Amino acid sequence: MPQSKSARTFRTLAGWLVVAIFFFPIFFWTSVAFRNARDIFDWPPKLVNFTPTVKNFEQVFGISLGFGFGTQETVNPGGGNFYMAPRLVDSIVVATFSTLLAIAVATLAAYCLSRMQFRGRHQFVNWVLSTRMMPPVAVAIPMFFIFKQLNLLDTYLGLVLVHGLMNLPLAVLLLKSFFDDIPSEIDESALLDGASRWTIFRRIVLPMAKGGIAASAVLCFIFSWTEFLFVLTLTQTSIKTVPVVSSTFVTSIGTAWGNMAALGAAAIVPAFIVILLVQRHLVRGLTMGSLKQ
Amino acid sequence: MSTIQVRRFAISDSPWPWLFPLVALLMVFTIYPLIYNIWLSFHEFLPRKRTLAFVGFSNWIQLWNDTRFWGALGVTFIYFIIALTCEIVLGMAIALLLDAELPGFGVLRAVLSMTLVIPPAIAGMMFLLMEDPQFGVITYFLNELGLLAKGTPILSTSSLALAGVMVAEIWQWTPFMVLIFLAGLRALPAEPYEAAMIDGASAVQMFRRLTLPMMSRVIAVAVLLRGIDLFRVFDYVFVMTSGGPGTATYTLSLYAWQQTFSNLKWGYGATLSLVSLAIIMVLANLFIKLFKVRW
Amino acid sequence: MKDSLRKSYLASITDRFVRGQMSRRDFLGAATKLGLGAGALGMGFGNRPFMLSKAQAAEDLVPNPEIIAWLKDVGKPFAGTTLKLATESTPPSNAINGQLKKYFEEATGIKVEIEVLPLEQVLQKLTLDVASSLGTYDLYYIDQSWAASFSQDVFDPREQYSAKADLAMPNYNLDDFLPALVDGIAKYEDRWVGVPYDIPIFIMIYRKDIYEKLNLKAPETLEELYSNSKIITDEMGPNVYGTTGQMKSGHYSLECDWTAWLWGHGGSIFGPDGKFTGNDERGIEALEYWTKLKATMPPGVDGWTWDGQGQSVAQGVAASMLSWGEFFPYFDDPTQTKVSGLCEVAVPPRASSLRTVKETGYGEIPGVGHQGGSSLAVSRYSKSPDAAWLFMQWATCADTQALITTLGGGTGPTRASVYDDPRVLANARVGAGTTRHLPIVRETIAKHMGSEPDLPEWAQLSSDTIPVGLGKYFAGSYGSPKEALDDIAAQVDAVMKG
Repeated sequence: MPQSKSARTFRTLAGWLVVAIFFFPIFFWTSVAFRNARDIFDWPPKLVNFTPTVKNFEQVFGISLGFGFGTQETVNPGGGNFYMAPRLVDSIVVATFSTLLAIAVATLAAYCLSRMQFRGRHQFVNWVLSTRMMPPVAVAIPMFFIFKQLNLLDTYLGLVLVHGLMNLPLAVLLLKSFFDDIPSEIDESALLDGASRWTIFRRIVLPMAKGGIAASAVLCFIFSWTEFLFVLTLTQTSIKTVPVVSSTFVTSIGTAWGNMAALGAAAIVPAFIVILLVQRHLVRGLTMGSLKQ
Repeated sequence: MSTIQVRRFAISDSPWPWLFPLVALLMVFTIYPLIYNIWLSFHEFLPRKRTLAFVGFSNWIQLWNDTRFWGALGVTFIYFIIALTCEIVLGMAIALLLDAELPGFGVLRAVLSMTLVIPPAIAGMMFLLMEDPQFGVITYFLNELGLLAKGTPILSTSSLALAGVMVAEIWQWTPFMVLIFLAGLRALPAEPYEAAMIDGASAVQMFRRLTLPMMSRVIAVAVLLRGIDLFRVFDYVFVMTSGGPGTATYTLSLYAWQQTFSNLKWGYGATLSLVSLAIIMVLANLFIKLFKVRW
Repeated sequence: MKDSLRKSYLASITDRFVRGQMSRRDFLGAATKLGLGAGALGMGFGNRPFMLSKAQAAEDLVPNPEIIAWLKDVGKPFAGTTLKLATESTPPSNAINGQLKKYFEEATGIKVEIEVLPLEQVLQKLTLDVASSLGTYDLYYIDQSWAASFSQDVFDPREQYSAKADLAMPNYNLDDFLPALVDGIAKYEDRWVGVPYDIPIFIMIYRKDIYEKLNLKAPETLEELYSNSKIITDEMGPNVYGTTGQMKSGHYSLECDWTAWLWGHGGSIFGPDGKFTGNDERGIEALEYWTKLKATMPPGVDGWTWDGQGQSVAQGVAASMLSWGEFFPYFDDPTQTKVSGLCEVAVPPRASSLRTVKETGYGEIPGVGHQGGSSLAVSRYSKSPDAAWLFMQWATCADTQALITTLGGGTGPTRASVYDDPRVLANARVGAGTTRHLPIVRETIAKHMGSEPDLPEWAQLSSDTIPVGLGKYFAGSYGSPKEALDDIAAQVDAVMKG
């Protein structure tokens, strides 16, 4: 759409302003990670003019950043064990594999739901969607008992399963809408040429739906990355993901805001990298819809 | 295609091999918990005896007289409706705004999605700190702008607390809507717009007559996905207000959690969860019928 | 006099003072003669009698070799076992998890995994574990408000100690636990629900500089606390407020504050017949007082748990608090707060009248010094109860507790002997992890402690019914204190009926 120059300028500024507002809490939170407690609680609040410290990061990641010697044992005289680096790894493992699981299962189902006619298909999709409607507390407790029986408590496999399951409805729905946008004439002509469903799926449809799959995968990754109640209920000491372990900083003698912010800020990075990797697909999103014309 | 070919097409491809992994996994995740919760709702945990006892329908009857339950239901509905509306409207507005190749907009779209990678529990803590009446930066700005009387605690004033919680919710999830809507906008065909432009339609007209109808399905999916999660809101209220002041922000999920873990009323907690599930299912089905969503 | 002699003499007079066998004046006099500034005793500040640097102290802070030898000896059969414990993030748990458990693990070959969580989540974990009887945890951290709920799920340590002679730690000495704490934290009916493990207790913490500037003295009565606070708020508000609180609606902390004021006005939560009495005349008087006092607190107070409350003192916003003594060592940390060395401690203000235990119900002990202790116990569902019992003895023995108190930042010990331990006394200087407040903690436990009732419904009443009702009151949903308390009474009755 052609626009006048002033309208373009205005729109550019508006876009930047809106995103700046949304970015502000993240900026502030990150700055908290670089503060001592006395600078976090100051009135009027300081935005930039405080004495920065990397102590919070040193404690959380058990490394010295070159400002004095710090190991996880000596930097934290209060005795708290705030060493969280392994928890970031846990989060990455769980989110990655649960995303793979969800996408693998959901792609198959979504393709079928998009291409094949069978009775009760509409109801079937509704049922899939309804599995997301149970309050998490009500699912977490029975899962705890099943997991205990199957020895899945406190294991990667258990969390991967439960997060994969949790994301299935979302992934199926999204992927189905992406497949719907790929004209079914392509499949049909291939069928006429004698290709099998599986070949069509693998050779033709999957490559065309790459962008949509990437977008769905990112959302699954994010939902697993941020999930709280299942991880809390189904883990004990060997595995913990970032959201749950963050509550370690809420102690009986106050909340270690700086450490919590340090972990929170650091935890944005891996997930954000995933977003950036597929950003092209995310933004192009459903452009294959144009194939319809 | 000939009819014979269509028939072969339909018969030779059974959907079940494709759906089997999905169905198998979902069974574990839904059927068992559902049966377990229904069973549990007819029982109650006896703290003194450490056992579950059969109590018939008493948990279900208790619902009717439980003012806390009705209060929580009301709060959940208010939260659900306001937050969903804000997220849809804001999300659409921002998506329309950012759907252009202007300087830096690619970066902006990526930066906006950063809010999504922050766990809700941490986002709740962030806003708890920022809305603190004594030290919070949001409180400070609102005071300075004259929008909030000095010394008014946002999260512990009955009339403001829910809004205070919803700020975190809306901040975090509006970008989710933007992401979905942007994808939808990108997929729109260009021809209708070109035609409309020749007819001299205004931007508002084009949005109402073209964009909105063509986006309806995308919007419906977004409403369903987000609406379901909104109705189960837990993390934000749990972290920010514990349901307070009083019961001003007590949602159904929080009440179910409280009954289950703090009050050890397992059966009643399960009953509350089932009610919550039933309401979402009814709402979702109504929505699907009303907006003629066909999968 | 040699330094060690001096310390042990000091310890003995401290003990006599706390037991009430010596007046405060004599005690201070004697202490001064010993060449100790009042700072060492937590009653003054600025003097650093022992001048121990942190690094120097840390070298001596290793477990007693005799105990390690004993652990090596008895722990052999259990090598390779893994023990799990879910605990609130408290100073003792953090000290054990971060610094001390390695000694235990090295000596015995038993692996100890400690899951550190906020209080509500610990409750969730315990509930699931108990309801499933699956023994996913070997040891329980039990807050005093849950003691009744979990009393049947744990072993009584006295029985364990006598039944397993071969595993009993020499000189473990169950009698060393402060009797008041055993009553208040561990005992339910005639059983011990574990041993007292941690004791945060309400003490009066105030800003000495502000009090001196305005010619005030530490409040001895509740009325004085109010008048002092009002003077400070009137003079220095809105930059500095007289006092502060932990009054977040629907949170356990609000209930803690309530009990202190209630007991302090001669009220009680329950009567001897088991009926809620928080809404009687005394209860209403207490709530009226609290409402008055709240006007002198910072406006954010009803959004705060102990975190916000502690921060308000640490950042110089509030000039006093009647709250957890655990916070005091943090206030003294100059890297974290603006009030290092400026705070002083005193026993809680005197109650205007106090009910006796007999006039209350469910073992409630009225007293302004609300205790929020917790116990450590071995789960009945544990697959390795003996190894867990070894760990529990080690974690709560006098030597370990002294190390916890010094390393873990001046937390309150639950054993009498630890208060006199030279390592603990040596840390009584201004700075992070100070122990200069401990004599006051000890005196508060002995003379002013208040303890919540023990009944299975208490977890619900204390973390839901009462704080939600009070939260409503402070949000203005009720017309009067009486209306609010009557409504709470009705709800408590409903819970008690099931």
